[in-house]
Amino acid sequence: MERAKYDQLIKDMRSELRPQREWSEGRGIFMVAGHFVVGVAGGTWLFSLWYADRLGLALAFLLAGLGGILHLANLGRPARFWKMVLHFRTSWISRGFFGLSVFLVGALLYLVPLYLPGFLWGGDSPIAAIGYVMAIVGTLTLIGYMGFVYTASKGIPFWNSPLHPALYVTYALRGGIAGLLLALALGGSGVDSLNNLLLLWIGITALVILFFGLEVHGALTSGNAAAKRSVHELFAGRVAVYFYGGTLALGLVIPAWLAWAGLNGPLTLGAMVVLALASAMGDFFMKYSTIRAGVFLPVWTPLAPQR
Amino acid sequence: MRRGMVIDLKRCIGCYACQLSCKAEHGTPPGVFFARVLKHEEGQYPTMRQLFLPVLCNHCENAPCVDACPTGASFKWAEDGIVDIDPDKCVGCRACMMACPYSNRYYNDSPQHYFEQGPTAYEEARTARHQTDVVMKCNFCRDRVRSGKQPACVANCPTVARIFGDLDDPTSEVSRLIKDRGGFPLHPEAGTKPSVYYLPP
Repeated sequence: MERAKYDQLIKDMRSELRPQREWSEGRGIFMVAGHFVVGVAGGTWLFSLWYADRLGLALAFLLAGLGGILHLANLGRPARFWKMVLHFRTSWISRGFFGLSVFLVGALLYLVPLYLPGFLWGGDSPIAAIGYVMAIVGTLTLIGYMGFVYTASKGIPFWNSPLHPALYVTYALRGGIAGLLLALALGGSGVDSLNNLLLLWIGITALVILFFGLEVHGALTSGNAAAKRSVHELFAGRVAVYFYGGTLALGLVIPAWLAWAGLNGPLTLGAMVVLALASAMGDFFMKYSTIRAGVFLPVWTPLAPQR
Repeated sequence: MRRGMVIDLKRCIGCYACQLSCKAEHGTPPGVFFARVLKHEEGQYPTMRQLFLPVLCNHCENAPCVDACPTGASFKWAEDGIVDIDPDKCVGCRACMMACPYSNRYYNDSPQHYFEQGPTAYEEARTARHQTDVVMKCNFCRDRVRSGKQPACVANCPTVARIFGDLDDPTSEVSRLIKDRGGFPLHPEAGTKPSVYYLPP
């Protein structure tokens, strides 16, 4: 361990409210990026199925594969990754690994006839149908499991909230709309089909804001000192710059302004891409800043009345 | 049988013998403390006091780290309730560190030694045996305990502030002390049922 890192660790351990660094610094950044990409992949698959967009489905598959690689990069011992399926009964990470594996296999089975018709099996064959079902099961698992990974973290009170899974589901859906918008833009689809998506984006963004507001309110009103410190870190501490710059300015103000413009008139292709990317990047910074704001439950508790 | 420990905070003088003897026993690298001592000051001048809180893995009955581990590397021995880590199974995802309400798990992220000149002979013999890129923690000195000895931190405490025994046996010293002197665990609200109890200072 290099000297600066060791000194930082000792400093952290001496403080009563110790910040978590394992899942946001060093290789831990891959954990945040992996969850972000996998969430976007899940949402993009769902919305692309709904809008029957072939390019969106392929994009979701590629993103899920990238998310898997990012998850492996987060591991200290990636060569042992296959062991992660062993504790499915209690571990949310294990369930997520299962979901990602099922999704990748199912999506591949479903995509092959879409892109290579008549090559190996047809789009109406049982194999494609099995792939469809596997991809749906995998998608729902991917969208759902991430929030529970954090909720199961009893050491970090700010994450240990029942709202966290719901918040991560809405992130995934918002990211899914962004992914589909990107795919539609890249595919040169007509602008007419975007109005509904923009309305949906506004609705889901409102849900993200609502859940996030409730979570912060819960931490401030009924949370312990660690949860309150996390909120402080988020709004006025070491991660505030990511929250205000990345989450609010990039992820909310810019896309909201573009969405407003889109509701009042047709958006250009470039504006669609900017909206999608800014919205997705905002979600990344939202996850990054809330994860990095995590503070461990203080070990010290009131021991006894004063003598 | 459920191995457990009672720490008498009235007897602890904050000498760090537990922390050092643990390091000597396990040869843990820099930044890894299976046992450590926290200092705290309570009250306001002139009615204040300094308290010491020795902490280690709580070997919880409902261990959240065991539930969070995706590979089963974190596990509980059925015969004595000790929570342990199999380093050969650990993938280094650090989920157990986030799940532990007591912050008593450490990630050994690279080969480490204390001095800039390089590893000492002691470190080459003891520290190097630990796998890197895996999580480490206290295992109640299970090898010592199985051979009939006390954990190193218990054996080396000069004030006998640490008592080790069987929590399932109501006649054991640990059970008696918890009952007679109001032993309490850390963070009972977490629902983890720790096997480490403290006697009030």
